[in-house]
Amino acid sequence: MSPFRTVPLGIAAVTLAATLWLAGTASTSAPVHAEANGSPALLTDPQVVGMRRLTEAQYRNSIADIFGSDIRVAGRFEPIVRPAHQLIASGARSAAITPSGLEQFDAMAREIARQVFDENHRAQFTACAPPDPAGADASCAGRTLAPLGRLLFRRPLSEQELALYVRIAGEGAGPTRSFAKGLELALGAMLVSPLFLYVVETAQPDPVRPGVMRLDDNSRAARLSFMLWNSAPNAALLDAAAAGRLTDQPHLAATVRRMVASPRFEQGLRAFFSDMLLFEKFDELAKDPVIYPYFNQDVLQALPEQMLRTITTQLLDGDGDYRELFTTRKTWMNRALGALYRVPVSQSQGWVPYEFTAESDRSGLLGLAGFLAMYSHSGRSSPTLRGRAIRELLLCQPVPNPPGNVNFTAVQDTGNKAMPTARIRLDAHTTDPVCAGCHKITDPIGLPLERFDGIGGFRTFENEAAIDVSGEMDDTRFTGGDGLGKAIAASKDATLCVTSRALEYATGRPSEDGELIERLEGGFAAQGYRLRQLIETIASLPQTYEVPTDSIKAGTTLVATRR
Amino acid sequence: MDRGKTGLGLMCGGAAIGVAALMALTGSLSMEAPARAEAPPRTLPAPPPGGVMGFVVQDFVPPVIQGMDACPKGTSPKVRDIYLASLPADERARLERKENEPELTKRWQATVFGADGTNICSQPDKFDRPLLTTVQSAHAGGLDLDGDAPGESCSHEEFTAPDGRTGIDNQEYRVMGCTLEWRGKDGIGGDLLTGMRQFHASGEWTQVILLRGVDSLENDDDVEVIYANTPDRPQLDSHGNFLPGYSFTISDKPPRHRNALHGHIVGGVLVTDAQDIKLAQTWGQGGARDIRGARTAYDFRHAKLRLAFQPDGSLRGLVGGYRPVFDVIQSPAIGGAGAALAAGIDCAGTLATLRKYADGISDPKTGTCSGVSSAMNLYAVPAFINDVPAPSARIAPAGTAHAGNKTL
Repeated sequence: MSPFRTVPLGIAAVTLAATLWLAGTASTSAPVHAEANGSPALLTDPQVVGMRRLTEAQYRNSIADIFGSDIRVAGRFEPIVRPAHQLIASGARSAAITPSGLEQFDAMAREIARQVFDENHRAQFTACAPPDPAGADASCAGRTLAPLGRLLFRRPLSEQELALYVRIAGEGAGPTRSFAKGLELALGAMLVSPLFLYVVETAQPDPVRPGVMRLDDNSRAARLSFMLWNSAPNAALLDAAAAGRLTDQPHLAATVRRMVASPRFEQGLRAFFSDMLLFEKFDELAKDPVIYPYFNQDVLQALPEQMLRTITTQLLDGDGDYRELFTTRKTWMNRALGALYRVPVSQSQGWVPYEFTAESDRSGLLGLAGFLAMYSHSGRSSPTLRGRAIRELLLCQPVPNPPGNVNFTAVQDTGNKAMPTARIRLDAHTTDPVCAGCHKITDPIGLPLERFDGIGGFRTFENEAAIDVSGEMDDTRFTGGDGLGKAIAASKDATLCVTSRALEYATGRPSEDGELIERLEGGFAAQGYRLRQLIETIASLPQTYEVPTDSIKAGTTLVATRR
Repeated sequence: MDRGKTGLGLMCGGAAIGVAALMALTGSLSMEAPARAEAPPRTLPAPPPGGVMGFVVQDFVPPVIQGMDACPKGTSPKVRDIYLASLPADERARLERKENEPELTKRWQATVFGADGTNICSQPDKFDRPLLTTVQSAHAGGLDLDGDAPGESCSHEEFTAPDGRTGIDNQEYRVMGCTLEWRGKDGIGGDLLTGMRQFHASGEWTQVILLRGVDSLENDDDVEVIYANTPDRPQLDSHGNFLPGYSFTISDKPPRHRNALHGHIVGGVLVTDAQDIKLAQTWGQGGARDIRGARTAYDFRHAKLRLAFQPDGSLRGLVGGYRPVFDVIQSPAIGGAGAALAAGIDCAGTLATLRKYADGISDPKTGTCSGVSSAMNLYAVPAFINDVPAPSARIAPAGTAHAGNKTL
């Protein structure tokens, strides 16, 4: 079999085995088939304390940043499973790659490598000209692959690693009689390596606190870059890591300050909120086209973008108060959404700023169709789903799942003239005390949004009955979306929740340090709830880089390759 | 409209946004038979603040009135039938036998072509063909076009509209109203009705109407009307009806068709003053090769709109004007021999009939008319319309308002 078919995956498996061996976390349920042919040398000295799989966005952003946005990434990404009530950033720490998922990564890697070393691009990435373009050249291959490997693996390649990829380049150049083809093969192998597909975190003893381990400089560079820019660290950040500046607190703080001030921080903030607000659910959002003719593919694509634009405009452009995300009427509109909201859009293409009227009852994120449609059924609204989403996503208050034997007949009978509104139907449904317990938590904060149908369209009547939008949260009574938005904005749970989520996003694990979260929230409040400053604080915090003891003894990374 | 007012809606980026009459958007917009400017509807809501209303035209179709009285002998014969009718009875009977179909096909198709590669659709002037069967009934949809244009019309018989209006000029309907393409079969509209809906849904022909200065939907003596094309595609529901509430921007690229009209509302019906109206008409989509994407225009001379406001926020009514006779056969003429061979359309016979019944676009020297009175039913649903003023109006001195929008 040609080396082009076998080498990259073989290297991936070998590297994976080595990584797992060093991390001491190999899954017993998914045996790794790999020859231990000197592989432990691929990872040396630093102690591996965790591995986080790249998300699709992080993969795409990394490729675009390292090779240019004209390099096409085409393929299917295996989703990272979200642990219950946690972020995908936490799920990434225990995300496996199935054999079919690895095949997809392999196919993408080959295609990316082909583009990088095609005639149009190779000059940008080839550090030298080999004397014979039809043959191998170890020196030139090394000089070309070393900087690329450093960016892809987010640390300098070891001598053994570089030698391995140079050897692959040489073996590829021989049969193909092409130096560039050899580089292509070596780059393909790098791109399918777990060292690229996973952010491998390594630690060192904390010199200040004996017995405590902290992330080393290279791992800090990766953590900072993915947390703040949702992409791989650039050369400058890796230089700072190489110089040991990221373990130096003043330098670390200065670096973070620069990064959150960069326009690229928007990309990081978008990724954070996409994770916090479960945007992966948009991939499976569907509505009945007969009931909701305004819901179409254009609308579906616009829903998350409108929410993200609203978020970034409020939090970055105006450096605004996080709490106003629940009360602002300022948003963005495009043509497809304009029809859903029944508002004029002044241009046919693209997005325009828009401010809802006071009569719209649309207040902040909860008044946007993205939230309202997501937490509805395919043919009707759902105060319960909306209330639960508010509790879980915005207030970090998990709501139990309904029991398996619930009778939903009353709430599903939306055409019943005797029970014309969702409030009346839910009242009938919750006569069962088993149901009533949870519905008391969710419905009083979901019902105020009942002026918005299953896709977020405005209405004042359901089945010709006026809709009652009174609601209650934590003993505060209010009406409508406006009242709900103000209640959430006034809730300390909301600011505590985003604080804990930001900390979880940074570290890749939910924090159980309530005291730390309280302290961070206090600082957040003192800074006028400016999220940019909260994230800057978290990214500069020594605890963010502290390695929990359990990660050192027995990490939770389960990575499988099975052929 | 108070002429002292700007009459503009929301200003945004130099374009005036027509705020649609959205008071009844939640109401159903069921598809009905081709629209007619019937008696004023029951109760009309107040116009929106600012008096700006927008609409996108869903139906733009010939006002065919179904029923046997219009064409008692059936639809106009196709080329094949015309050929057969020209034969002696015995020969006709022989050729109509199934085994002789290839011979019949060869012979009638030969009549499509003339000398030097000409054919009856590409060069209809070069053929002498029988006239079409014309509409026999006294009723037609349309407008009285010559009532306020004395001296511009040639003598003709007038129709009475289904709603009782008299003096209706619609010679195009008289000529085309018995063709299979217009009348269809079994009381169902022909290809033209379904085809026109598709054209309007495609963004190729899509028409919008913007009203400014509407103070009352019942009576207003001064309304600015912009009747134009937009490149934006309407969105359809599962029944194929246009969804109200979308935004459309009037085309700013050539061929740009933006007709600025003046109208008045009486009894819930908007009527515009007579003026030439041009609108896009693209046959086929895509490039300009052969008939695909051939761009022509609806050219209504001395034209008027008559549109009735509906309680559900829509508009129903007509546009009428005189069309150059050749424009009526524009589509099959572009199709050439194919139109005659595949659809059996006798372009030469049609053109000759249109010329015979021409009643408008009179030559002042000869008094000869080269156009036919025409009308199209309109049904338009509420929409937001972004007006794009003419380039000259867009280069306004700094600090000036865009009031020029209304005077284009």
